[in-house]
Amino acid sequence: MFRTNMKVLVTGGSGLIGQAIRMEVEENPKTDEEWVFVGSKEADLRDAKQTKALFEKHRPTHVIHLAAEMGGMFRISTHTVEFLRNNLLINDNVLYNCYAMDVKKCVTALTSAIFPCDSIFPVDESNVHDGPPHESVSGYSWSKRMVDVQNLAYNKQHGCKFTSVVPINCFGPYDNFNLKDGNVMPALIHKAYLAKKNGEALPVWGTGSSRRQFMYSRDLARLMMWTVKEYDEIDPIILAVGPEDEISIKEATELVAEAMDFQGEIAYDTTKSDGQFRKTCSNEKLRKYLPDFEFTPMKEALKATCDWLSQHYEEART
Amino acid sequence: MAAQNGEAKRTKVAMRVLVTGGTGLVGQAIRRVVEEQQSEDEEWIFVSSKDADLTDTTATQALFDKHQPTHVIHLAAMVGGLFKNLKYNLDFLRNNIRINDNVLHLAYENGVRKCVSCLSTCIFPDKTTYPIDETMVHNGPPHESNFGYSHAKRMIDVQNRAYYVQHGCTFTSVIPTNVFGPHDNFSLEDGHVVPGLMHKVYMAKRDNKPLTVWGTGSPRRQFIYSYDLARLMVWVLKDYQEVDPIILSVGEEDEISIKECAELVVEAMDFKGEVIYDTTKSDGQFKKTASNAKLRKYQPDFKFTPIKQALKETCDWFAENYDIARK
Repeated sequence: MFRTNMKVLVTGGSGLIGQAIRMEVEENPKTDEEWVFVGSKEADLRDAKQTKALFEKHRPTHVIHLAAEMGGMFRISTHTVEFLRNNLLINDNVLYNCYAMDVKKCVTALTSAIFPCDSIFPVDESNVHDGPPHESVSGYSWSKRMVDVQNLAYNKQHGCKFTSVVPINCFGPYDNFNLKDGNVMPALIHKAYLAKKNGEALPVWGTGSSRRQFMYSRDLARLMMWTVKEYDEIDPIILAVGPEDEISIKEATELVAEAMDFQGEIAYDTTKSDGQFRKTCSNEKLRKYLPDFEFTPMKEALKATCDWLSQHYEEART
Repeated sequence: MAAQNGEAKRTKVAMRVLVTGGTGLVGQAIRRVVEEQQSEDEEWIFVSSKDADLTDTTATQALFDKHQPTHVIHLAAMVGGLFKNLKYNLDFLRNNIRINDNVLHLAYENGVRKCVSCLSTCIFPDKTTYPIDETMVHNGPPHESNFGYSHAKRMIDVQNRAYYVQHGCTFTSVIPTNVFGPHDNFSLEDGHVVPGLMHKVYMAKRDNKPLTVWGTGSPRRQFIYSYDLARLMVWVLKDYQEVDPIILSVGEEDEISIKECAELVVEAMDFKGEVIYDTTKSDGQFKKTASNAKLRKYQPDFKFTPIKQALKETCDWFAENYDIARK
């Protein structure tokens, strides 16, 4: 059947990035595009039969593959076998069905934890396989690296156009704001919310001197939608603000406090570890393709996210 | 658990070893070693693809249920020569990941005490310094010609570590250099350099033609006789306690050139004809030296079969078994 329309299946559709893509689609609908967002309720992607049934039901022309067995640092490091095996299974099932159903393009989200543990920063796309990842994220990281290997293999053996993106730390509405499990930005936002509500100090682990690149989930969503339509390489592409936009945890905390309108004290617990000083990713490849892409200013992005959490605290993932 | 039926039929042994890929080059050599060693307290079971399709989880579980191994030597894999790898990188990747995941996960679930898998020197990073050693496996992408196979093999090491960190399992791996011996694959297209040479000499002798060796003959390689590899793998299964892989190879000092190897094969097969080196053909990599320092730390006195004797035994086997040999 000849089809001109694009039908995009988004796995992991109810997560941070999936929701951000959904918001973009709802605000800018296109008549020749249909977007379907699925989560684990619709299909357990570790199961080959369920994955096949999902693909047969929706018959997508394109796939954005966000689904993964996820977790916070503690869980990832103590369940390395599950993170390795389950993600290998999920990714193998999704990519195989993309191949079997002639999907024109599949974009999988990798993770910046994919890079070798003793990398020299900034890293770029060519460094992914240069050495083993950090032990604490081993299973998860290796399973994501295998997506890149499979993409290449599907292209070499069958001419498929499967590719991947490496997003840096994202934050936004629908994030995981859990204080133990969540990433640094949503955890800071949640802490600021609680500190303001309870009239307490805002606690920050470490000295605040470590530096990170942060990106608004809505920006990542726009970039992933561009990737699924226009990016034709099989090799991954890092989606990130530039190294020049890296900020310290201290600066991030102050911006969060401002966005939350938190006036109280910020307490840095310097007995706690700072973690890695820098994990800078180059966004040169992205800038080569999209020199004029404008990232949402941090203040605006944080305000939107803080407002969202304040308004949706009861149903947010906390 | 289904174990009960199995155990009622089995004699009690201290060690029951399941060898997957048991009918191949290395499996047959292990069989020879086991038959020589004749340990009463051990039972060795050699299985092949006829017994179970290891890409199938249910079939693999049935195999474990049937044999109830306490130990596993995992040799089974989808393998092939250069051209097959180039064409089917995806299949080599997926099928081998599946096979290895089935064997390792079921070994874990079935309480296997030790599992030794087989890696390969071809999985090392393409861009590397020499000699290569066990710490370098993951330090860069493998050669692109067989990246599917290489990544799948590397994942065995990743999984071994994962099972150790999370569950305390002793799953480990060995990395042999070029293996040769009876029951090898002597195919001129698919086989490796030594069996390929033997087959060429056999045909040159039979057809009264010159032997043509591709390249200048100057590249140097380390070869390990399958019988020696088998003796070492049995030792690894019983006594090597690390989860990190161990290279099993003769030392750098025992590297020989392809020319020297060809001359030894010619001598072993009593070939009197002309030997031509077709220098228009590629030599391939000059050296791929692997360090056997770790092995020597554990086994300083291990004696490898002299290469002349090993080649003679293999040539004799090939000549006697030409009709049934894999080619």
